[in-house]
Amino acid sequence: MLRSPGLLTLARLRRDRPAMVSGVAALLLVGLAVAAPAVGAVYGVGPEETFAGDLDPYGMPYGVSGGVSASHWFGLEPGLGRDIFVQVIFGMRTSLAIAGTAALVATAVGAVVGGVAGYLGGWADAAIGWLTDVLLALPLLICAIALIRPLELHLYGPRDPVPGWFRAVTVAGLFGGLGWMPIARLVRGQVIALREQEFVTAARASGAGARWIVSRELLPHLGAPVLTGLSLLLPAFVAGGAALSFLGLGVLEPTADLGRMIYRSLGYLQTDPAYVVFPSAALFLLVFAFSTFNEGLRDALDPRALR
Amino acid sequence: MSGSPAAFVLRRTGRGLLTLAAVSVVTFLMFFAVPRDPAAAMCPKNCDAARLEQIRAQWGLSDPVAVQYAHYVRGVVAGRDLGRAQGGYCPAPCLGYSYVNGEPVIDALARALPVTMSIVLPAAVLWLALGIGLGVAAAARHGSPVDRMIGGFSLAGLALPLYLLGSMFLLLFVYQLGVLPYPHYTALTESPLAWASGLVLPWCTLALLFSAGYIRLTRAQVREAMSADFVRTALAKGLAHRRVVRRHALRPALVPLVTAAGLDVGAALGGTVITEVTFGLYGLGQVTLDAVREDDLPMLMGAVLVAALVVVAANIVVDGLYARIDPRVRAR
Amino acid sequence: MRHRSPLALLLILACLGACTSHERGTELPSGGPQAPVTGLISTDPAESRGPAVPVPGATPGGTVTVIRQTELTRLDPQRIYSFLGLNASQLYARRLTTFADSGAGRVTLVGDLAETPGTDLDGDCRHWEFRIKEHLRFETGAPITAADIAYGIARSFDLSLTGGPTYLQEWLAGTPHYESVFDFAADRSALPPGLTVPDPRTLRLRFARPHCDLPFAAALPFTAPVPAALDTGLDYNRRPVSSGPYKITKVVADKEIRLERNPYWEPATDAVRHQYPDAFVLAFGPDPATQTNRIIAGHGADATAVSWDGVDPSLIARVVNDPALTDRLLRAPTPSHNTLTINTRRVTDLAVRRALNYAVDRDGLVKALGGATVARPVTTLMPPTTSGWRDYDAYPAGPTGDPAAARRVLGGATPELVLAYPDDAEGQIVATYLRGSLERAGFRIRPKAVPATTFLGATKEADNPWDLYPGTWAADWPSGAAILPALYDGRGIKPEGSNNGTSYLDARPLDAEFDRIMTMRPERQPPEWARLDERIMRDYAPVVPLFVEMECTLHGSRVGGLFVDSIFGSPAFVNAYVRK
Repeated sequence: MLRSPGLLTLARLRRDRPAMVSGVAALLLVGLAVAAPAVGAVYGVGPEETFAGDLDPYGMPYGVSGGVSASHWFGLEPGLGRDIFVQVIFGMRTSLAIAGTAALVATAVGAVVGGVAGYLGGWADAAIGWLTDVLLALPLLICAIALIRPLELHLYGPRDPVPGWFRAVTVAGLFGGLGWMPIARLVRGQVIALREQEFVTAARASGAGARWIVSRELLPHLGAPVLTGLSLLLPAFVAGGAALSFLGLGVLEPTADLGRMIYRSLGYLQTDPAYVVFPSAALFLLVFAFSTFNEGLRDALDPRALR
Repeated sequence: MSGSPAAFVLRRTGRGLLTLAAVSVVTFLMFFAVPRDPAAAMCPKNCDAARLEQIRAQWGLSDPVAVQYAHYVRGVVAGRDLGRAQGGYCPAPCLGYSYVNGEPVIDALARALPVTMSIVLPAAVLWLALGIGLGVAAAARHGSPVDRMIGGFSLAGLALPLYLLGSMFLLLFVYQLGVLPYPHYTALTESPLAWASGLVLPWCTLALLFSAGYIRLTRAQVREAMSADFVRTALAKGLAHRRVVRRHALRPALVPLVTAAGLDVGAALGGTVITEVTFGLYGLGQVTLDAVREDDLPMLMGAVLVAALVVVAANIVVDGLYARIDPRVRAR
Repeated sequence: MRHRSPLALLLILACLGACTSHERGTELPSGGPQAPVTGLISTDPAESRGPAVPVPGATPGGTVTVIRQTELTRLDPQRIYSFLGLNASQLYARRLTTFADSGAGRVTLVGDLAETPGTDLDGDCRHWEFRIKEHLRFETGAPITAADIAYGIARSFDLSLTGGPTYLQEWLAGTPHYESVFDFAADRSALPPGLTVPDPRTLRLRFARPHCDLPFAAALPFTAPVPAALDTGLDYNRRPVSSGPYKITKVVADKEIRLERNPYWEPATDAVRHQYPDAFVLAFGPDPATQTNRIIAGHGADATAVSWDGVDPSLIARVVNDPALTDRLLRAPTPSHNTLTINTRRVTDLAVRRALNYAVDRDGLVKALGGATVARPVTTLMPPTTSGWRDYDAYPAGPTGDPAAARRVLGGATPELVLAYPDDAEGQIVATYLRGSLERAGFRIRPKAVPATTFLGATKEADNPWDLYPGTWAADWPSGAAILPALYDGRGIKPEGSNNGTSYLDARPLDAEFDRIMTMRPERQPPEWARLDERIMRDYAPVVPLFVEMECTLHGSRVGGLFVDSIFGSPAFVNAYVRK
């Protein structure tokens, strides 16, 4: 047996059909989001274009299912009259960029901090535990307000518009910086449990160095909690971004945002359900595909569970 | 090594107090980091600089931030006189007087906290029962259709935002079918039936969505434990499958479960803004939100401190449970 | 495939979406009357006497619930300034004068506590007298005298009791710094200068300058009587003593306020109020969409409820197309007038300001906000409900704007302008839409989001760095005197900023005109204000008038007598009753 663990994982993953299907779907959605401007150009509608002429005097779109037609595949937004397909694609781009960046940052920070705390123990663990307590007890809302506005005031003149991406980066940093604690907790708990298990004790007794123990005995067992945490964080951050937008602290118009769009659409559940369905379905598919793929990947990484 | 439970609780409480102090300092600083002026909001229509200064002085807003903080801490510890404009003497623990509501902060919080607790605690019991139950069931029947169905349910739960599911439930059960009343809070002591019927919708919504994470966590942990040597040994010895799951496989899974539950319940008690907004319930989350929107520093400080207190308390409970589940933790 | 249940859910959702179809039709929403209020100050003392004309079909009993999202925090009559506060306080706080409102645009200012809407003793609007009615009582049974009204006005000088209007204080003191002239806290038995009570049934006010609008200002609740012995200062806000048909019996903060009948209220003294329901409940919390949904469903108390915040724009299509709801819908224009305000200190080129007026697409903007039931386009500086209002369009560009005309006026220039807007949901929509419509006409618009909580204060700073921003103004009474001088008299601009108008228009030729009209008799002012309105728009174009807000709200099937009042454009409760 000379195959590397990576190849083994890949082989196992390829046998898992749901994982492969969802992986392809996730890739497709990410691809669509990344290529949003190109998709919009081919489709022929810009993200800020409005079609007020296709709305009735109450601002509701004419036509079937909220104005679904050959030129507007998902219909029009009530009120502003923008194309929902383009809004969804651009909104996915924003939401994915924020939630993805934030989840990666949070997972990386959480894994490192939690691992260090669990492995070293003692005063390092105590200090990190205390920092975690403080950060957990600070409401995100207040941090968001305290961070976003002064930063913008500092970096942009009173007449300079703040570009959409700046908000996105700030929000991603905020989520990342304040969202790593659950991961750290999970990893720390896992490391403490592992530290005392026979095979680690045995390795230590046989004179293995700390580096060897961490890389060979501990890290392989952290894959599952980290991936579980990651798939838990992604939707949480998408929803969090939407909540912040709702309070005027997230991404602002005219930058499209999936979360904000869903939040606004909810009032139209009775009058224009199509407006709720399209962005919600996009978000649902996105998170669902990611979660399913993650699960398959985790199974592939951790073959003991399949034995 | 001081392994006695009393010493453990004492140590944790000390750390909790330290955490609260840090949180209060940071909140205070953050409030003043933003260029804002609560006095401007209180100033009448024809406001000007002199009037503004007068209001600032009246509310103690012209003092340096450090002095204001010192006054605040003194109020919490020993009570203080807030002056005529703020309802006179305020006994300890004095959390100040709301700029906006015209009442002591502690009154507003005393109303909001039971609402949040009534939403979160029963919901937490539901979601833990559902999550652990389904998680164990899935792990025990690994690979079966039941496992797949539960897996799909949990993935759907993770992917659905609370406000979407909540709004659909409201539309269906309250507005269309009319089988449930519009969510409202009645004190448990006043009428247990009204309390439960008014909150059953948020409970179910929260339980359905929050259980998803616990299903996945339980399933992963139990499966991992099932493959551990001692469990395999137990199975090999011919012990009943169900007994093995309960005795051996679930126990190691409890550590991460307790961690997650402690964090979730603590955070949710600190304010379930989205739940409260979706169902129109006025708990700690909405109090915090309003305080932020209205630049109401005393209310904000009060809400943040109570939320922090709950989170810290939840942490102490989690750590205590750890020690019970795994005595090695306490020995450190 | 593995996970079937979520896919099924998605399928259901998709079907839900596909099941609606909306044909392009000819439906045009009718929007209630669009006419200025008529009538105004009563000259016949009989109109000020009670009892009020009975409401046809009204019967006593029942409870009317008013649902509102945000709590009503101000109950103290001297501190009230919100629309709900102004209308709800009619139930428990009588004033010197009040508006008798037909609900259809005819409004008469009558004496409330006073026998008439005031007497101008010397004919120069400086010295006023009010004779107080007999048989007036507080909820305690104690008689209401001129001294109780004077005490109420005096306590409004107390800076710790802020929040209410400040007309009387400033007019009596002769300066905006009224607290420097009279310190209420120092001697609570003293009266401010110019305010006298010669006998228990007479109240006199003497001003340094003429204030012909006093009868209107006296209709604000800061003229409500307060018994000095029961004044608890700040705490009075939680439990004010009633002089009207209802008294406050229960206040649960953040949740509800309950009012029940006041047995000492004498119908014969009151020209406008009734006492049909046993109780009124003001309930707080639910958002507008929830209010609408609950009242449509009509379970329990919701059948006798009215939504304060109005039908949510997202549900309007559902509500107006349901014939069962038609007679439960209250629709009327409000005095809340919205503009795209131009900072004339920065945008000094009149051609640019005129081009902005040609460019704006009002129709699209109104649709973006929720359509004809939410807002109505307007091209005048005063809202259509203003007495004497006359329609005109100084820059005719059709309902959707005329980019070509704007480009012509600009003469090839492409000015770059910063558009500041509040970062709340509505502010974002307005700014997004305005930007699009202005850029079509060649403007280069730089949108600048400003925190919604500080937005108003920031635009009121005279040296604010922005060129354009949305502005709104709701007058306290339907007279041009409460609008045009407040917003466009350049002499009102202070060094640090503005009280009201944020266009910072400072045009000397207008000064004399403001002074001339202000000292005319109130009944002769309306056509003069209408003329001045058009002149300011044609000669200076300090704003782009956008729309007036429309009231559109729903009430339960078992509540009657509700109407939209013509002064504030909100539901009025004085005629409300519960149907058996």
